Amino acid sequence: MSSVEHIKEGRSRPSFPWAFPSSLFGRATPGAGSPAILALLMLPGLIIVAAFFILPMALVAMRVADGPDGLATYFVILTNDRYLASLIQTLVMSGGVTVTALVLCGICGLFLVRNRFAGRNVITALLTLPLSFPGTVVGFMVIMLAGRQGVIGSISDALWGEKIVFAYEITGLFVGYLYFSIPRVILAVMASAEKLDPQLEEAARSLGAPTWRVVKDVILPGLMPGLVSSGAICFATAMGAFGTAFTLATDIDVLPMVIYTEFTRNANIAVAAALSIALGAMTWAVLAAVRVFVGNGATSGTGGGA
Amino acid sequence: MSTQIRLRNCAKTFADGTRALAPFDLTIEGGETIVLLGPSGCGKTTILRMIAGLEFPDAGGVISFDGDDVTRQSIEKRRVGMVFQSYALFPNMTVAENVAYGLKVHGVPSAERDARVDAMLEMMHIDMLADRRIDQLSGGQRQRVALARAIAVQPRVLLLDEPLTALDAKLRVRLRTEINALLRKLGITAVYVTHDQEEAMALGDRIVVMQKGEIAQIGTPREIYRKPQNPFVADFVGAANRMTGQMRDGRLHIGAHVFDAVDAFDPRHGAILDQGAVELYFRADGLSPCDLDEAHFTGRVEAVSYLGERLRLTVSGIGSQAVTIDTHADDVIEAGADVHCRVNADRLTVFPAVTAQS
Repeated sequence: MSSVEHIKEGRSRPSFPWAFPSSLFGRATPGAGSPAILALLMLPGLIIVAAFFILPMALVAMRVADGPDGLATYFVILTNDRYLASLIQTLVMSGGVTVTALVLCGICGLFLVRNRFAGRNVITALLTLPLSFPGTVVGFMVIMLAGRQGVIGSISDALWGEKIVFAYEITGLFVGYLYFSIPRVILAVMASAEKLDPQLEEAARSLGAPTWRVVKDVILPGLMPGLVSSGAICFATAMGAFGTAFTLATDIDVLPMVIYTEFTRNANIAVAAALSIALGAMTWAVLAAVRVFVGNGATSGTGGGA
Repeated sequence: MSTQIRLRNCAKTFADGTRALAPFDLTIEGGETIVLLGPSGCGKTTILRMIAGLEFPDAGGVISFDGDDVTRQSIEKRRVGMVFQSYALFPNMTVAENVAYGLKVHGVPSAERDARVDAMLEMMHIDMLADRRIDQLSGGQRQRVALARAIAVQPRVLLLDEPLTALDAKLRVRLRTEINALLRKLGITAVYVTHDQEEAMALGDRIVVMQKGEIAQIGTPREIYRKPQNPFVADFVGAANRMTGQMRDGRLHIGAHVFDAVDAFDPRHGAILDQGAVELYFRADGLSPCDLDEAHFTGRVEAVSYLGERLRLTVSGIGSQAVTIDTHADDVIEAGADVHCRVNADRLTVFPAVTAQS
């Protein structure tokens, strides 16, 4: 968008002195050399992808094939009750974290963009703070909140004489991931909300639309691109997050923990490898499905804007 | 059938204390097209949004549609059609879905809805675009869709907020003509906001000229153009030339020259202005080049611009600031030449000089 505007204004290249000349990307002057330069510039990226993704994936896949059950190991995740339960639990928890984060951040983000008040920047900063925390720290904070010596436990003990403790189970993990996901989602929602044209809502209202219809027909479609992309990141992070789970307890049966246990304790390398690939494939499949279902609506939703 | 709109004692003060509108009264007759005209920040859009129900007047203000008090009614209840400068079309819907939206919200059965959408699209000459997405349309097409969407629900009043400002000059004139024909055909009450004097003249039954949150003048296009009631209106509708003079016993003196039969009415005092210092506002036809023997003034041509049907001269040496004068397009006049001019006294608008006021 901005480069098009530059051209319209008669400035062929950006005014930043440190920026690449635009001809490097073959847009302003499609010279004969530019595709070659482009390919050359892509090389470091390709090398990194090859070294850290394709190669290890191939090795992991080979480990599975070399195992006692050969390629059948891939199906162990479906045939073994424990692995299957772990997979379902991981999917449900990640989905739950994603949906909850989207709902909470959708409301907060929209509110923060629409309203100017004292302390607004402080609240935004606080909400986006967990971006800088590692999973382990988040896990520690969950224990401080809902652990045996936690705040919630102390308060409930004082009130009802019963300690409420949920840090060391899947509920604690859910709270940790949710907290971890809020900044990513809220930033994306706020970026989308800034771009919403308030006149669209006014137009809908002038046509007689009550508030819920304005939300459904105007605000949600406008936020959809941000919700889909940040929801995808949130889901993928929750599927693979390990640090928080490991800090909370070693017996929470989410898939990354199962993989860790199989690999380090049981030395069951073939199964660990198969589970790893299954975890990656499953995450990818869910994201692809979301993109197919919501993506079309989301892209037409941004049509005019981006 | 058409709705009469009355605003009584409406003022608007924003939360930060700035006064957007001084208290005013305005009655818009049923079927009338009113144009709110003024520079940006004059409060014209605030009036439009008040009628829409997007802003509410300060306590004491009353807005009524056909006698019904709608002052505290929100926009979704008021049945107003709105057209925006940014079009504000729903990007996640097709053209037909956009036009159908209001009908859907109002629960019109789908068969009737389709028929009405088709009729609207046909009336706006966009029936071939029904299934297009909004980002596939040009600006002119978008504004036609916006108009179709606004009138599909048969609103009580159509509110247009600078609907043509984002379009290029040629399309602007064409769509203006179309909107004018549409408003006459529908007989709908309409309020049209613009900063463009020509647009206001072409569309308005009456024009409300706004200045800094106050109504400077209300009148027909002819009244606004020929009889501006104050220097601001005169200047805003194109009488940008200024000279100073003296009124003595009902006759206008400019320098050594004396003119009779000048229409010098002081609207602020409701009386004939026959004594005192005056300011004269006039367009490019207030002075015309002539031969030396019938000239009142001689000035020096600073710049010449060729406007096609006429030649526009910027002339210094007459009055305190340069004035623009039109002459025949075929005249050959170069910058730097002297030009002799005659005053067309009937083209002057006379106001009491500001310094002569209280």
